[in-house]
Order: sequence, then C-alpha cells, then structure tokens
Amino acid sequence: MINAVLVFNNSGQPRLTKFYTQLETSVQQRLISEIFILVNARAPGSCNFLPLPPLLTPTTAPSSSNDVPSLVTYRHYATLFFIIISTSTESPLALIDLIQVYVEALDRLFENVCELDLIFNFETLHAVLAEMVVGGVVIETGLEKVVEGVRAQGKVAKRPVNEGMGGRGPWGPWVVILGGPDGDGE
Amino acid sequence: MFGHDMSWASFHVLEVMSSAKYLQKRVGYLGAVQSFRPDTEVLMLATNLLKKDLTSTSANTMSLPIITLPHIITPSLALSVLSDLLPRLTHSHPTIRKKTIVTLYRLALVYPETLRPAWPKIKERLMDEGEDPSVTSAIVNVVCELGWRRPHDFLPLAPRLFELLVDSGNNWMAIKLIKLFATLTPLEPRLVKKLLPPLTTIIRTTPAMSLLYECINGIIQGGILGSSDESAGGEEIATLCVSKLRGMVMVEGDPNLKYVALLAFNKIVVTHPFLVAQQEDVIMDCIDSPDISIRLRALDLVVGMVSNDNLMSIVGRLMRQLRNSRSPTSEEVNKRVSTGMVEPAADSDDEDPEIAIKNDKGVSQEILLPDEYKVDVINRILEMCSSNNYGNLVDFDWYIDILIQLVRNCPVSRSFLSQDVDSRRGDSSSTDVSGKVGNELRNVAVKVKAIRLQAARAAESILMSTFNDNSASLNPANGALRPIAWMVGEYANSLESPDAALTALLHISKGSVPGEGLVIYIQALPKVFSFLTSEDSAAWTPERKTMISLLMARIIHTLEPLAMHPDLEVQERAVEFAELLKLAAEASAGQAASTSDIQQDSPLLLTQAIPSLFTGVELNSVAVGAQKNVPIPNGLDLDQPINLNLNNLLRAVESASFDEPDQDEFETYYHQAPPPVPSVNEPAINRLGTPEEVVQSYQQGSEESYLDPDIVARRRAERLERNKDDPFYIAPTEISGRSTPLHNILQSNNGPDLDLDAIPIMQLDLEKTKPSTSPPKKTKVSKVRHRIQVAADETLGTSGTSTPQNDDSEASLEVASQRPKPKGKHSLLQVDSSHIGAFSLEDDGSSNGPVDFEAQQREEAEMAKAMKEVERLRLEMQRANERIQAAQGVSLEGTVVKKKTKKKPKTVDADGTVPVVKKKKAQKAVTDEGEGESSMAAEVVKPKKKKKKPKVEEEHGVQEGS
Repeated sequence: MINAVLVFNNSGQPRLTKFYTQLETSVQQRLISEIFILVNARAPGSCNFLPLPPLLTPTTAPSSSNDVPSLVTYRHYATLFFIIISTSTESPLALIDLIQVYVEALDRLFENVCELDLIFNFETLHAVLAEMVVGGVVIETGLEKVVEGVRAQGKVAKRPVNEGMGGRGPWGPWVVILGGPDGDGE
Repeated sequence: MFGHDMSWASFHVLEVMSSAKYLQKRVGYLGAVQSFRPDTEVLMLATNLLKKDLTSTSANTMSLPIITLPHIITPSLALSVLSDLLPRLTHSHPTIRKKTIVTLYRLALVYPETLRPAWPKIKERLMDEGEDPSVTSAIVNVVCELGWRRPHDFLPLAPRLFELLVDSGNNWMAIKLIKLFATLTPLEPRLVKKLLPPLTTIIRTTPAMSLLYECINGIIQGGILGSSDESAGGEEIATLCVSKLRGMVMVEGDPNLKYVALLAFNKIVVTHPFLVAQQEDVIMDCIDSPDISIRLRALDLVVGMVSNDNLMSIVGRLMRQLRNSRSPTSEEVNKRVSTGMVEPAADSDDEDPEIAIKNDKGVSQEILLPDEYKVDVINRILEMCSSNNYGNLVDFDWYIDILIQLVRNCPVSRSFLSQDVDSRRGDSSSTDVSGKVGNELRNVAVKVKAIRLQAARAAESILMSTFNDNSASLNPANGALRPIAWMVGEYANSLESPDAALTALLHISKGSVPGEGLVIYIQALPKVFSFLTSEDSAAWTPERKTMISLLMARIIHTLEPLAMHPDLEVQERAVEFAELLKLAAEASAGQAASTSDIQQDSPLLLTQAIPSLFTGVELNSVAVGAQKNVPIPNGLDLDQPINLNLNNLLRAVESASFDEPDQDEFETYYHQAPPPVPSVNEPAINRLGTPEEVVQSYQQGSEESYLDPDIVARRRAERLERNKDDPFYIAPTEISGRSTPLHNILQSNNGPDLDLDAIPIMQLDLEKTKPSTSPPKKTKVSKVRHRIQVAADETLGTSGTSTPQNDDSEASLEVASQRPKPKGKHSLLQVDSSHIGAFSLEDDGSSNGPVDFEAQQREEAEMAKAMKEVERLRLEMQRANERIQAAQGVSLEGTVVKKKTKKKPKTVDADGTVPVVKKKKAQKAVTDEGEGESSMAAEVVKPKKKKKKPKVEEEHGVQEGS
C-alpha cells in the first residue's frame, strides 16, 4: 500500500502531505526534512528511487514483512518534488506512472499548473489525490475519470490573476511531459 | 496540512465539517484528516456527523466521510459506522462503490469483524462481470493488500482472478494480479502450470515495461522459477527472465530500469546465485554508477553472488571506490587537523616528488561519497569475506592487507569534529564500523593459526601508525584499536618489536580515551611487558636490570594517573597492574645484578609469576549461542539468595561510603610510588620500529590501485622472500634501485652477512626446485595458500562443532531476538494489521461465539429482552412496595421519614458514586458493542435503570426502618 504522498518545493516547503497512517506531527516534519535532504542531493540523471531515510530504515535485519515501507519514489517537476512512500506490494514503475497521472490531472484541471495554483487551491490538490488514492490503496488510474471526478465536486477555482507583472516570478509553469516512459497509464 | 500541528483546532474543524455548504464541508474534512487522532475527544462527537454524511443523498458529500475514515479510524468508530458503510457497496455510483471498498479494507485492518458482513458483498462485486472495470480494479487492489496477510482465504478466487488477468487489458490491474498470484502460488503449486503460459505471453508481447517487470518479479517471488526447474519450460523461463533483466540493466539512459532490474536480481540471487553470477559484468558496472541508489542495490547483489573466484576482484573494486573517494566530513576534519595529508599512505618520511604528484591527482579525482555509504561498503566487504566461516577466502595474506587498508579508510566519525568525549562515546555507527574491521582482524588471528603471525604483525603496524602519524582516523578512541590492542597483548610473542609496541600502547593509554577502549589497552600492557621480561634463560645482567626497571617505571607512570579514571573498570585494572608492577620493581631492585663472577637469577616474580597470569589455555573463539548450551549444574538454585543478609550489607555500605573520599586521599598519600623515570627515548624507538615503511614502490599494479603503497611494498617483499629459492621466479629488476639511504643504514646495521644472504644464488640443483625439499618456510607458505585451517567457533551442543552448527546457533539466536520484535515495536508508517491475521473468514459463524457479528446481534436482542423482563419485575416490586406502605398506614410515616433522612447522606456517600460510575460504564459498553439499534436500545434502557437503583435502596431503608 501507499504509506504517504508528499509534495514539496525545491526549498523543502511542504505543499501537500498525506500520511495514510496516523503519525505525530513532529515525526512527520522530521520525515519530510529527511526525505528532502535525500532528494535534494540527487543528481539530475539519477533514478527515481531514493534510499530509505534514516527514520524509516529498519532497526533489525530486513524482515520479509510486506507491511514496512520499503520504497521511496519521487519525481521532480520544475519547482516541485512529488514523493510516494510505499510498501513492497506496490510496483515501483507503476508508482512513477501514478505520479505522472496525478500531475497530468492537475495540469488538466488548472491548465498550465504552477506552484501558486497548488498553494491557493490546496483543496483541489487533495481532491485529485482522493480520487486516485484512498486509504493508501490506488482506486483510479485513468486520467479522464480522475479529472471528471474532481470536476463533479464543483468548479475548480483559477488562481488570482495578476499575470501582468512579468510572468509568474519564481514559480514558472512547469512543463508536463505528456505520456509516461512507457505509456501504460491507460 | 503543511506539516504543522493543528490538534488544538479539532473542535473548530468539527464545526466546519458540519457546515451545510459542500466546499466548506470539504475543507472541514481535510482538517479532520490532519487534526484528528485516535485520542482526540472530538472524535466521539464526530461519529454522528460521519454517520449522517454517509447517508447523505449527494454522492459528493457521501464520499467525504468515506475518504476521511481511513485516516481517523479506531475500532469503536469502525464498529459504529460499519452499518452505514455497508449499504454504500451497492451504491449506483461506481466512484462511491470503489471508495467504500477501500475504506472497508482499512476498517478491517483495525476491526477485523468488518470482513464478516463485508466480504461476501465485496466478493459479489468482484464476481460480477458487468461491474465497472475501475471498481473491479479497486477490489483487486484491496484483495492484493489482503492477499499476503491471509492468502488461504483467496485461493477460491483464483479462477476469477485468472480470468481477469487474461481478459482485461488494464495494466495496473494486471500488475496487482500478478503480485497477488505470487503470494498464492506457494500455497497452490498447480497454479504455476496455469500461470506460466499467460505470463510468458505477457513478457514476450507487452509494450509496458512496468508490466514486464512485474511479470518477471512475480515469477521470481512466486517461486515459479524454483519449482519448475525440473520441467523443460522452467529452464526456458528462467533464461528468458534473466535475459530480459539483463536487457533492462543494459538500457542506456533509464536509471529506473536499472534500479528495478537490480531489485529483481536481488530476489533471484537468493535461490539462483549462479544465474546472477553470469551477469557479473553488468552488475559490476552498476557498482560504479554515480547514482547512490543504484550502487546500494548493486552492493546488495554483489554480497549474494560472491564466490571463491570472484571475491578478490569484487572486493578489489569496492576498495578502489573507497580509496578514491573522500567524504565531505573527512575533508573538513583534514582541514581542522591541518596535517594536510589526505591520504594516510603518504605519511612516511619520504618526500618523493612522484608520490606527491600521484596524491595530487588522486585528490582531484576523488568523488564525494556519503559516509553512510562507505560504512555500508565496509560492512559488505567484511560480510563477503567472512561469510561461511571464511569459506570464500583463498588468500588470507591478502585479506589482512585489505583489513589494514580498511582501518585507514574508515570514515571518520562525525563526533570527532566536536572534541567531546561523551558524544563520541554515544556515537556508535562510525566507531562501530572501524571496530568491526578490528574485530575481523582479531577473528582471523584467533581462528586461523597459520596466519596468526602475519595478523599480529598487522595489528602491530596499525598500532604503530597511531603513534607515528596524527591523522584523525587513527585517534586513540578509534574502535579498531581495541581488538588490535588485544591482539598485540595476546600474541606478544609474534610481534616484530614488542618494545615499540609497548611504547605505542603506553602512548594511547591516556585518560582522555573513552573507558571502553582504555580497559583493553591497560590489559594489553602487562601482557607485552611480561613477554619482554620473562625470558628465563637470559642472564640477569646489569643492563637487563636497568632496562627492566626503566620499563616498569614507564608503565607505572602511565597507569598511575588512570587510577583516578571515572570508569571503574579502568580504575580497577590500573590499580591492580600498577601495584603488581610496583611489587615487581621492588623485587628486581632487591635482586642484585649478576656480575662476571656471581651468576644471579632473574627475580621469580618477573619470570614466573607475572607470565603465569597471562599464559595458560589458548583462547579460542566461542560460538554466539554456546553460553546458552552450558548445562545448569544440579543443585544450583538461582533464585536462592546468596547472602540472606544482603540488604543490610548494602545499607551498611551506603552509610559507610560517606567517608570514602578521605580514605582515598589517605591511601594515595601513603602509597605514592617513587617519582617515575620519564621516558625519553620514544622518538628513537619510533624511528627504528617501522623500518618496512621505508620501502616504497612505484610500480602500478592491480592491487596498488586500492592498497596503500606501503602495504603493496610489503606484499612484494614477502613474495620475493617466498620465491627466493625458486629459480624460475623472475625477480623484479628494480630490486637494486630500490635501496634508499635508510635501507642502506639498515643493511649496514645488520652486518654484511645478511646482505650476502639476500643475493639470489642460481642453483641448478634439481632436488632443490622440488617442493618437497624446498626450505620449510616455503612449504608452510604454500600450505597456507591452499588449505588453511579455519578454526570453528567452540560451542557446546549435541550436533558437533561443525561450522554449519555454528551458523545455526547464530541464526537461531537471531531468530529468537527477532521474533518478539514485530510485536513490540512497529516500524514508522506501518499499518498495524496484527489482528487481522488471527481473524478467520470461514463461515463457521456460531462456533466463534460472541465475537461473531450475527451472534452479537442476537445477543443484543436477548439483552434487550432481558432488560424488559427486569423492568417488568421492577415495576411489580414497586407496586408491591406501595401496597405495603399503604397498608402500614400514616402513623409510622414520621419515623420512616426520619430514618430516611438519617440514612440518605450515608447511602449517597457509600453508594452514591458507585452506581453512577457503573451506569456510565454500562452505557459505554453498550454503545461500544451495539450499532445503531442497540445504542438506541441502550438509551431506552438507561433512564429506567437510573430509576431502579435508588428505588432498591429506598426499599432497604424502608425495611430497616420498619
């Protein structure tokens, strides 16, 4: 199952944190910062999997249990990192595609989504996630259905329009590459 | 939401949640996810709201509690919302259906009873061909999650799942199905035959890399690879998988595929190491990948596929990595310590320009590697070499050199930066790893007799280097020095120059060193000393007498300040040995030295008593579990107190300890030793102690790339020595050019005879070339090369002392220590699903008794009936009571009232509180157990119950009064 979905920007400020198990806030903060340190140190060409952060590394010898979070998958889009922490029952490559679907859905809803959109419309951010993952289990992977589901909940608010002043500053639009590496997101 | 604490706002969140507007409600529910915890009190209040929203007419509103529940669920909440959630499984909207299914799964994790009513419905959904594909997919996801927890329950579903796998074109679902089948196949081997054809087709045809990967992974995990080995298809599928994986590793530019392929290899390597070993070339490339994640996975893999043949090349590669890298912290340390020497190798006193250039190049090429990675690499190297009781190791000389190099390359503990003893002591990870290297060296020395001499020499040279160079990695607090000091003490007879070793030991035995290390250093001191002085045959000449008394004075001088060390163990050993040596000093002072005419014996204390403390039975390695196998002797009762008066004694000690400080001063004042003679000649010994480091070489060899030059040089010298008498061995030509001025000095010191010996004489004596007649040294060496006796750990047990047994005992110990672990401590983020494993899904309903869902309902109905009965009886009694009162008339009423008023406060005091508590408890229990109706029933019951209790008391009062 998926243990947590995190989104934070290049300076480590969280934009979305969703833990599918109950966790102390202080532990959450520590985990986020540990992952950020790891993810920030990655070279651009390296793979999308992180070694486990110290907080998650098992203290004893690696047990065969499927319950323990064992995989940290991330993707980096312009200013944002998308991170999924999951157990071994999830397929690593499928998770990469899942992040892709999530980002594409956001892009579809906001039209050229950028970090500001996510700051001002955090409910939509959560709503999209809720259409895809409930309680740590993936329920929908079809882009169309996700977008449809979110739209059914009401109009998605656009960001406050003040684009006259020289683009969008540090939060430029992040280019979404349509079509995953092997396009098996339906 | 953004990682801030908002538990304080839970009540406000609840208010927003109950808003009528959907958008506000949505934000409220988001807040609930963030702020509600199982112990949040508002959760009780929220239950009703959740139930209300679950039955809402709008699909949007309805899905809010459904998606929120998994985050805030508790067993009691699960119980109360279950009845509202179940009907949602048949909701007309597929989105609601699939969300409900997942939420039910999460409910089941905390409250397994959920599955009893929910599972048949979910199964129905799964079997329904006309069901929305995305709902089916969600069900498959849930089944996959449940599958590994209780695979037996899902075997009956296999036909339907198989159908889904073959027919549906959904890759996501196929991945999950394959994962599920991988857990099912071990239980039902017949599935393998059915599964193989579709899986092979998928592998051959699918364009989606993730599905391809999961197929291979499923084949590996399901044990299909292993079980079908006999059949013809098995070989084929195995090679197909491996070749596909190899292709994935080889793909340029997609590191993700590399990573997952290595993950898959890691699983294969457990059962089919030979298949993976064939892919050694690609895997070894991954070890040098710039991506740490990939490296770590490759490292895991390498440990699994190591064998006699590739061990040296693999370790060599890793060593090269370690040596060519430099961690940011060590750089900082170097700056701080400012010796400027990045490589400890260049520490010796020659300033050859070529070496300097090489070092410069090395520095510029170094890659930054995190310390954790280095520690990991070192651990893996040790693991690989020592696995199977050194079964993979062919060349122990080489291993010792590797260990020496590792001690030098160990990442410097970060706490060295802050020169704080306490934090250094607390920090375990880094000192740990150097300690491990040291332990390894000691293990080799203890277990492999043939190599003990070399190991002891290696330990000696490491010890010397701590004394010679000030590089930070060989701080006296370094964990590696502990076992090394022990070796130097224990195998003092193998040392090259015990004198110099003693000096080095004295040098590191300082008060600033943590106690754990100091204890061992102090223990090693008298061992080396006794070796130095115990030669019985040596004449007690005046030189010897002075030399020994000087030595003793130096040791006492070192030990004395340690008698005040905060660590008790250090104190004790320091005092013991200092006193012993003082005695010995007196004895040797009393013994006049032998002159030319009178022969005097050395004092017995030195030649007999002190050595007998340390020589005795040889120490062997003991298996980890051996201690447990020691039988408890008859008549030993561990529960019986040894001294019945122990408590009194302890108390006496406590009260006596007040005047201890005074005594201490008194003692030190009167038992002060004569002022010790300061040691002056340390530098000289130091210079003579390490002649071998002078020899440097410039030849570029394969080993040179990861071993420091001095180690390489020593290896070459040894090789030369070994092959001295072999006429076919072509000695390196640079042999003559190798002499450095210092070398000359040594030669001249040693005299011309030695020089003559060193000249190779070509003797064409055929006898001599035969191994049988070659000098004893050579045979010994060749024996070392081929079959080295590695002593097994000593153990007590029924099944002998073979190594597998040793492994067993270790394994069993590990298992034993692991077993209670999962119960006690859960990993972070882990869902606690321990209850669900014990839960039975099979419909043997009634036998399960009160836990059963239906049975519970029945019980509640009975309970309600019983309550009604009680109520009826109570009313009857009340009526009867009224009748009695009416019959007794008005005359007695006054006294009754009086009694009542007297009694009342008493009853309230004694019983007043108790019934209230009881009632609350009862009410709670009822609401906990019941769902909708039962809680209503409880509400109905409650007021009547309240009435009942005081009534009974009243009756009592009346009866007593009357």
